[in-house]
Amino acid sequence: MNARVAYVIAALLLAGPTFAQTKGQLQLPEFAALAEKASETVNVTLDANLLRMACRFLNADADPEQAAAKKLCTGLTGIYVRHYTFDTDYAYPKGDIDGVRRQLNAPGWSRIVEARSKKENTNVDVFLLLNGDKAQGLSIIASEPREFTIVNVVGSIDLEQIHELEGKFGVPNLEIETGKKPAPAKPPAPEKTPEKAR
Amino acid sequence: MNENFANEFERELRRRLRPVEAPEGFAERLMAALPPEKKSTVVAFIPKASRPVRQFGVPAALAASLLGAVLFGMHVANERVIEEQKGIAASQQLMQALRVTSQKLDLAYEAVNNPPTAGDEENRS
Repeated sequence: MNARVAYVIAALLLAGPTFAQTKGQLQLPEFAALAEKASETVNVTLDANLLRMACRFLNADADPEQAAAKKLCTGLTGIYVRHYTFDTDYAYPKGDIDGVRRQLNAPGWSRIVEARSKKENTNVDVFLLLNGDKAQGLSIIASEPREFTIVNVVGSIDLEQIHELEGKFGVPNLEIETGKKPAPAKPPAPEKTPEKAR
Repeated sequence: MNENFANEFERELRRRLRPVEAPEGFAERLMAALPPEKKSTVVAFIPKASRPVRQFGVPAALAASLLGAVLFGMHVANERVIEEQKGIAASQQLMQALRVTSQKLDLAYEAVNNPPTAGDEENRS
């Protein structure tokens, strides 16, 4: 009897962190070894509390970028970015990327963009966590010879608002909400405005 | 008549007030009749506590509450500064995160939109 209780308690303790993790949040490794080798590192961990605080301190009146960010971040519960730049090619172990990629095979996640360029040795995957017709998470895994990036955005993502970021952060129109693929091969368009995005 | 009476009275007064020798052994008897001399005792002086409190109680309480208010204000101001620094740092991190995100979305966009040229093997979906 006592052993059973102990098993239940142990199981609950082990399961605790899993339950505590927000839906859509990936378990990102520490990448401590990568950070040592990298010439440039961007490590952003903004949980719900920090994100709320960050949103409060954005100056929407002075900067259109910050205004767009403020609009976007209200529904988000976390942003996690790991970005490493190296001085040599492929200084990062592929196993680390595969570990993260495996988490995106979980139900709910859909790969909306898979781009492989052998010419530039660039791989970019964009995943969306969909709940009905609402996006609850966005993940990007991008690997280039000298760069390695994982982005994990958690929370209700309004795709319209991502479109509104066009011309502000250089976010392109991916037409992700319609499921349509972007029109191929068009001449480089002039800088887009938010009105165009709508 | 009156003069005689006054003279008589004065004479009688002088007679009565003249110095008279004390009887034999009077001093000894008097000293023996006195109570024994008490030894002096040391009494500690304990100041009453209520008096200074009554005197300085209100100013001390005011000073203490003023000091408390100043310390609390300093603490609140300090907390606000720390929170502001944290908030600014977090907003900078957020902007940096969004820039990296947009760069990578741009990369995906470029990869999807650029058609494969001859001899260039690309896989897009």
